[in-house]
Amino acid sequence: MDITVRGTDPFGNEGYKTLFSDIMNDLGEALAVEKAELVLKPEIPLFIFSVKLRSEPINKTIADVASIREEGSGVHITITDERHAPEILNQMWTKYGRNSVDQQTRFDMNVSNANFKEVSETIVASGEETLKEVIGSVWRSMPEGIRVRHVFISGTVVTVLATEEIMLPEYMKEGADVHIAMGGSADV
Amino acid sequence: MFEVIMYDGGVYRSAELFELIEDVGGAVLQRIRSSQMLTVTMSIPSKDKDVVVALCKEIGGEVKEVSLAGTEIAVVGMTLGRHHMPHPICDIAEALRRKGALTIVMGLARGRGKSTSQISASEVGIINEYDAAIFSLGNFKSCIEDKKEMMKDIKIPLILVCGPKPDGIEDYCEALVTGVGRKSERMRSSDERKKLDEIVSIAEEVLYEKRMSVSEDPLFVYPSEVKQVLENYPPLDMCLRPSPIVLHMDGLRAKIPYDENIKAISDIMIYDRRLGDIAVITESKLDRSSILMRIKTRSEVEYDDARASKQA
Repeated sequence: MDITVRGTDPFGNEGYKTLFSDIMNDLGEALAVEKAELVLKPEIPLFIFSVKLRSEPINKTIADVASIREEGSGVHITITDERHAPEILNQMWTKYGRNSVDQQTRFDMNVSNANFKEVSETIVASGEETLKEVIGSVWRSMPEGIRVRHVFISGTVVTVLATEEIMLPEYMKEGADVHIAMGGSADV
Repeated sequence: MFEVIMYDGGVYRSAELFELIEDVGGAVLQRIRSSQMLTVTMSIPSKDKDVVVALCKEIGGEVKEVSLAGTEIAVVGMTLGRHHMPHPICDIAEALRRKGALTIVMGLARGRGKSTSQISASEVGIINEYDAAIFSLGNFKSCIEDKKEMMKDIKIPLILVCGPKPDGIEDYCEALVTGVGRKSERMRSSDERKKLDEIVSIAEEVLYEKRMSVSEDPLFVYPSEVKQVLENYPPLDMCLRPSPIVLHMDGLRAKIPYDENIKAISDIMIYDRRLGDIAVITESKLDRSSILMRIKTRSEVEYDDARASKQA
């Protein structure tokens, strides 16, 4: 994750670079973010945090996060992306009942009487959920109490700007400029 | 003059240690037993320190200097939110506890933000009950400078811990430690541990100065002596709260309800005087179940005596 920080406080710039990186790593969002630009103007106060994601958040199915094969009358799932393991198990329990799901290891399970196509097309993570998580992580890394916020989203770029009192047009323009510079569209 | 030291060792022959502390006229401030291990924080006369230290070593324990023992320090963050807690506030509190201080961690109700941040009168009142306060602020100079107004009503020694060095805050705090700021992880790197040591040593200096100013007009009775007497008061003896009696530099906090105990506490006799006459006893602002006792100085007691005899 490439982080650029622009701001008027040298200590704050350095501090927030580390803080942003630590929080993104803690929340498991660092891999999803390609680059980030942080604009820190504490004297106003105005904070603009813009992140470019590696890919546009879309719905993820079991086929995207696990390898699946038919076995007898059921389906065998080998999870390749650990983050989605609880949701896959939850979905299989809901659809086929606990008795039909035999979890052999943390990453392997047999689902008896399951339909291969139905299993592979089961959605385990929605794009909206991913986006919410990214925005939540950005909010968490912003200073507390800077509650008047606006979010620009277009394609893979998410820009959050925050101030303490009135969101003035010039702040919105500055936020939009950062958003466009990061690869976002101008019609946000 | 009394000194505070900590015994850290096993329970083997610890009865002898307690007997010796009593013999030399000292007091046990805190006793923590965990399985066969024992930690005892004690206040003993300086002249008898060598004897006590020798016995501690003889029974297989070690003696640690706990310069902050007998003090209660508030570590204050701007909120209890995850932006400010647990790091670095809890790290600072932990470092202070290692030196014997009792600490409380406090988050303000409306401390977040820059121009919207506030501190209420009741929060100021609570903070002023402690021996010292450490305010932990963040990474931005302009933000810290704006928040100095929050510190103006704090009457106890205040140490400001923050990121950059702010301008114009000299009149608002006793000491300043820079280079900490907002953190999302535990302070465990060697530089960060050094920073914690710096905070502790500054707290020691600030409290030493307060101790010296207290000794200019000495207290009528040492808080540890009052503690010894209070330990026999049944509601405190049976109190299950951790550290039911907390020593302050100029008094004590007893963690029992004020309304139910004020009369009995005031009537306790120490050196042939009522405790109510030699201490100012008030209800803690923190909650309704603590009593604060500020022991009067010798000159205050003499003044009260003179006034009483004049009236008689």
